[in-house]
Amino acid sequence: MLSSLQNPRQAAAQLLNFGLILSTAFMTWKGLSVIADSPSPIVVVLSGSMEPAFQRGDLLVLWNRNLFSETNVGEVVVYNVKGKDIPIVHRIVRKFGTGPDAKLLTKGDNNAADDTELYARGQDYLTRKDIVGSVVAYIPFVGYVTIMLSEHPWLKTVMLGLMGLMVVMQRE
Amino acid sequence: MYSTVVRIQNTFGFFTTVAFVVAALIAATDLLAPRTPTVGVLKTTNVQVYGQIRVLSSSGPLSWRATNSPLPPLSSVRGRPHYYSSKKEEYAIIRFSLDADLSSLFTWNTKQLFVYVTAEWPSAGGSGSGQNATNQAVIWDSIITAPSADHLANLGPVAMKKLRRSAAGKSIDPSRGKLSIKNQRPKYQITHPSGKVAEQEDVVLRLHYNVQPWVGFLTWNQDADFWRWKTLRNNLSKKFALPAIKKKDEPK
Repeated sequence: MLSSLQNPRQAAAQLLNFGLILSTAFMTWKGLSVIADSPSPIVVVLSGSMEPAFQRGDLLVLWNRNLFSETNVGEVVVYNVKGKDIPIVHRIVRKFGTGPDAKLLTKGDNNAADDTELYARGQDYLTRKDIVGSVVAYIPFVGYVTIMLSEHPWLKTVMLGLMGLMVVMQRE
Repeated sequence: MYSTVVRIQNTFGFFTTVAFVVAALIAATDLLAPRTPTVGVLKTTNVQVYGQIRVLSSSGPLSWRATNSPLPPLSSVRGRPHYYSSKKEEYAIIRFSLDADLSSLFTWNTKQLFVYVTAEWPSAGGSGSGQNATNQAVIWDSIITAPSADHLANLGPVAMKKLRRSAAGKSIDPSRGKLSIKNQRPKYQITHPSGKVAEQEDVVLRLHYNVQPWVGFLTWNQDADFWRWKTLRNNLSKKFALPAIKKKDEPK
């Protein structure tokens, strides 16, 4: 079973192979990030405030470039509030002014009230730079894996263990 | 070489590939379905502007103090419940009528249709923003679920039962896209960061929609025809002006 450990050349090849898989995943993510001009081009929905359209665990593809028009009322955007690190997916319902200083107000389709309560203290509107990207595409369920992983941390250990075992056991 | 682990890996890999290809094909069928939404009527029926100061009372929850206007029924028209300002704020309530046929937007990949009406008006000059600065605010919106997504809608048990019965046995129900709304009270009042909206001229209402799919791209009403997708014509109301603030001593 651990015969690979007796053959340093094969062990090194397997280690490199594992590293290649990891770096491919990382570069794909960063590549998408550059194309979409967004720090996180794919997000997982964490709350139900945009139900029934988006549910927990759904995957959203973001686009953060204004090629043809500005970010406008009606677009579903992901934004970060100053000082908080949780991205929020809501729809723009009001826009006053144009350009980077336009004042934007957001609201979840499923919420009774707009997002003023979620914003930072003294922040009445968002501006364009608070927005991480506009939602352009939707894939259901796929993101549920990450929610499972963050809610049941022992799954991470199990998964890492399985992956490690596979690397050790697998022989070309 | 063909150990159990490798077999499981291959099976899982093949499954994900097939799932993604099928999803991509389903998303692509959106393009094949013609979209021919039409608008019959979009007009304002009653426009009013009120002026108020909102204060945070020292005892108990947020309270309203009317300065020169009768209190509108706040339970049905929402402003910004969590927005506090000591400034005097004017706000407008625009009632409207709408007649539209959006039934062609319901296909097998439609999860829900989000329909919304915005009010748009040009900025008063010299407020610091550019020449073409505009203001846009949603005054009314509606989530229209496809029958296949009814079970996800956020409704009480009675309304849910009614909704599900309305399309029993159907997975696509285009008749839900036929909107006929008379003298509709807006869901949201409109305000402006400057606090002033009274006597604003050149205001228009505009109807928009957003098709949200089971899988694939989100689409909005587009400005130009795109192959089988026709643009939404006639979705603008006539230009109108917001009236002056309604006075307290005005006869009712």
